[in-house]
Amino acid sequence: MIEGGLNVEVVQRIAASPATVFSYLVEPAKFSAWMGVGAELDPRPGGRVRIDVDGEHFALGEFREVDPPHRVVMSWGWEKNDAVPPGSTIVEITLTPDGAGTILRLRHLGLPGEEEKRSHEGGWRQYIGKLAAVLNSH
Amino acid sequence: MRRDPLAALSSPRRREIIRLVWTNERSAGEIARAFDVSWPAISQNLRVLKESGLVHERRQGTSRLYRADRRALRPLEAYLRGMWERDIDRLRLLAEAEEGNRSKR
Repeated sequence: MIEGGLNVEVVQRIAASPATVFSYLVEPAKFSAWMGVGAELDPRPGGRVRIDVDGEHFALGEFREVDPPHRVVMSWGWEKNDAVPPGSTIVEITLTPDGAGTILRLRHLGLPGEEEKRSHEGGWRQYIGKLAAVLNSH
Repeated sequence: MRRDPLAALSSPRRREIIRLVWTNERSAGEIARAFDVSWPAISQNLRVLKESGLVHERRQGTSRLYRADRRALRPLEAYLRGMWERDIDRLRLLAEAEEGNRSKR
């Protein structure tokens, strides 16, 4: 766990299989049925995440880990939001089978502990540069 | 006076200062030396950070020492937790409906 910084955790049992739940995390049409009004998702490490929250605000980041049907990790932030800029935080979603259902555990971490962990300012700048390159290449 | 920590975080310079004092306590002088701007500019930002609760100030002899106080992030955490709880609950209903429909077929 990251020392200091943002630390939000939500745990929810879902009466559906991990495979079904996972499809809602990586398929754009299914994703935007539970969050926002539209989603661009490229579910592979380094792949882009852009969520149209309400037609005006966009959440932006990239996939870090995609391990069906167990785990998704993505960077997360809001376009034109200086408090939580794109890529400034990490969202980690882990699915664990529980009988016929699934335990979904979501953790939202970072800002600025996450950056600190990435070993100092240079690392952070490099990361933002990399993120910008990924975004521009799409 | 209590300032909104999220508004205080909206300045890139203030975020840089917070990063600097996130894990280590640093003196006003050390913080000022990390930036290529005048002391008054840094001092003004430190004051805003202090008033928003994001940074804690301690006096030691003649110097002032600063470190981040993560408790000020709680309003942001509460906002994000509310957002995720609401959205994850929607995800739950959709996934359960999908499997419910499938098992009825």
